[in-house]
Amino acid sequence: MSESAASSEFEDAFHKAAERHERVWVFVAVLMLTLLLAGTMFLVVYAYGVVVRTAGFRRDPAAIEAPEGSIAKTGPNAYTVTIVARLWRWSPSPLRIPKGATVTFRVTSADVLHGFAIQGTTVNVTAVPGITGSVSYTFNRSGTFNIVCNEYCGLEHQGMLGRIVVEGDPA
Amino acid sequence: MSATAFPTVLPASIDAPADALAPQRRTMLAFLVWGFSALMIGAMIGPLQALNYGGVNAYPSLTPLLKTYYQGLTIHGVLNAYIFTFFVTCGLLVYLPARELGLMPNMALWRGCFAAMALGTLMLLVAMFDNSSSVLWTFYPPLKGSAWFYLGMTLVVAGSLMPLPILLDLRARWKARRPGEITPLVTYMSLTTMLMWALAGGGALIELVVQLNPWALGFTDTVDPIVARTLFWWTGHPIVYFWLMPAYVSWYGLLSKQIGGKLVSDPMARLSFALLLIFSLPVGSHHQFTDPGFSPIWRGILTALTLSVALPSLITAFTIGLSLEYAGRLRGGRGFIGWFTALPWRDPSVAAQVLAMLTFIFGGAGGIVNGSWELNNIVHNTTWVPGHFHITVGTASALTFMGVAFWMLPHLTGQRLLSRRLALASAWLWFTGMSVFALGMHWAGLHGVPRRAWVSMLPRSVYDRVYGDAHLALILVAVGGCILWLATIAFYTVFLGSLATRRLDRRPAIPFAQAFGGRESYALDGGAPVGVVAHPSVSKLARALEHLGLITAFTALATAAAYVPIFWPFLQNATAAHGWKVW
Ligand code: HEM
Ligand SMILES: [Cu+2]
Ligand SMILES: [Cu+2]
Repeated sequence: MSESAASSEFEDAFHKAAERHERVWVFVAVLMLTLLLAGTMFLVVYAYGVVVRTAGFRRDPAAIEAPEGSIAKTGPNAYTVTIVARLWRWSPSPLRIPKGATVTFRVTSADVLHGFAIQGTTVNVTAVPGITGSVSYTFNRSGTFNIVCNEYCGLEHQGMLGRIVVEGDPA
Repeated sequence: MSATAFPTVLPASIDAPADALAPQRRTMLAFLVWGFSALMIGAMIGPLQALNYGGVNAYPSLTPLLKTYYQGLTIHGVLNAYIFTFFVTCGLLVYLPARELGLMPNMALWRGCFAAMALGTLMLLVAMFDNSSSVLWTFYPPLKGSAWFYLGMTLVVAGSLMPLPILLDLRARWKARRPGEITPLVTYMSLTTMLMWALAGGGALIELVVQLNPWALGFTDTVDPIVARTLFWWTGHPIVYFWLMPAYVSWYGLLSKQIGGKLVSDPMARLSFALLLIFSLPVGSHHQFTDPGFSPIWRGILTALTLSVALPSLITAFTIGLSLEYAGRLRGGRGFIGWFTALPWRDPSVAAQVLAMLTFIFGGAGGIVNGSWELNNIVHNTTWVPGHFHITVGTASALTFMGVAFWMLPHLTGQRLLSRRLALASAWLWFTGMSVFALGMHWAGLHGVPRRAWVSMLPRSVYDRVYGDAHLALILVAVGGCILWLATIAFYTVFLGSLATRRLDRRPAIPFAQAFGGRESYALDGGAPVGVVAHPSVSKLARALEHLGLITAFTALATAAAYVPIFWPFLQNATAAHGWKVW
């Protein structure tokens, strides 16, 4: 009998402490999530270029407007290029740009879904048939970047690789 | 300790109206066996995928069975993510509440649920094994599989919604008998899960019925890919809670009893389920952070909502953690972690579930990264993502279900578990294998290795040039996969073997937990039903949360409000895409 009394005393004490800690925990959790949210929002505003924006819709995915695959110079060291994804290649590729250039990629697909990811950067856009998405990115490092298709697109999906060559002062 | 002594043995008299309960047990067993059979096929294929990332291409030698990596991956994803989880869940979330309340569920509906999903499974198997539908488990159009695939999928989704009316009916009958009382906990959690899923399933059902079925059957020529994708994620995000909440049901509703303790807070369990219902629904489009077509402002709002869904899981971590501590201390555990080592680790059902929880701590942290928009750009569609969901659904849920199977098989069949040791070994192997595997997958993802890619098919020079940086990480993936093969073999030896063991003298009871201050809570079959009842001093919260109808209506409105601005531009600018069969 005394053993069960002791155990219910233990239960009561544990329960009281638990309820106190519970309130603290919920408060801390909410605070933590709020701070995290503020942090992400700040980063997003700070690096707004990588946010995908919409650059157009078309009814027929295959009807890509010309000129396709050319780079247009839009500022001192700024360029715009339309990237078209097709089973199973990127056009244009390889793409040559000078170091320090800010490139706006207008990405779309002419057939199925593809994913336009540039390895080692934050550029990551879904290539949707019928919609053109756009992101900007500044290449501050010279070298070769791989374009990797990261949305399943059929048998040769793994081989749908492209290249961006950032040419800079060799120093 | 003999294998028959766990988890809790009640007097044989629990079986008094034996014949009345036998049909329920048989139906539950059918759900369990069908679900775990699907996982068996899926889990045998998984390690092949892990080897692929390690650069080993096993597929040429499997040609008669699997023609391509992508065919295998479709089978792996569909069987593990839909068939396994749906069957286990649609069984458990009817069986446990019915036994908790001591009422007979509507057996015709429950068997209908099984029949619809089983027929759907067979149709899917035909469509996947003949390689006509290697569209992966997300089946994004305009990739176009055979009609069998979409019709089978429709049956599976529709069937998985059928437990909802069964639960509503059970609860109504119970309430009529005991006016003014609060719904017992396991029933409350099960019903909340099914309400969430009913709202969630709408997206996939609309996608299948309005877009894909007519298209696959040839009634329409084209389909709008972005509309389909958005409808898919309306379901595809909350589905992760449909995978997780049944595991929480076991953690909250059963585990504390299995470890010899009590559930520390019944109202917190209810609160976290209600919050999961509210927060998980409107945020599906966070899977589309990298898609063009809708406004950045909505993306910001989605980020905020997505982070809020972490709250109920943080509450769960706390409440379950305390319940474990309480039991550990009762068992004589002392000091900072003594309570943890004092848990009954020899019980495979407990070990599997506690290991599943441990893994989930890391899974939850990774999920917060996925949800944060900026970080998402780095990890989106890399191996990070499957790395993440193998420690959430692939371990937190799957390993918990395995743990549940360890007590439930003897409970349902009245036969002993084949081997306690082998069951323990399978749980530890699964935990170890998944940890190594997931570490490798997360790490490789940070090097930009894409998911869903038959990389071992690439020429060696290309593989090394593009993925060379991730070499060590990818080796971990392959090693983890091989450990998981061992885990799978160990588990299925126990699971299938236990269907043919000798009979027990007594049938182990369902380990319904008792909450602090609550009454003894296992169901007294046939007699007065007693559920887990809230602690009297804190039941105000529990009482407020009884208004599930209102909470559901509010969630439905919030979901509609979240989706109208996303669909609007898509509907204004329709795309007509033809189908492609390119595998
Ligand atoms: C034997 C253990 C397992 C191993 C070794 C394994 C391995 C893998 C690997 C390597 C991938 C990535 C494939 C790719 O992206 O190309 C994958 C994908 C996947 N796995 Fe597993 N897995 C296992 C168990 C599970 C379990 C238990 C579940 C769920 C309950 C699961 C669900 C999935 C899903 C949904 C995918 C995504 C398929 C897709 O991207 O289309 N897996 N698995
Ligand atoms: Cu592609
Ligand atoms: Cu999600």
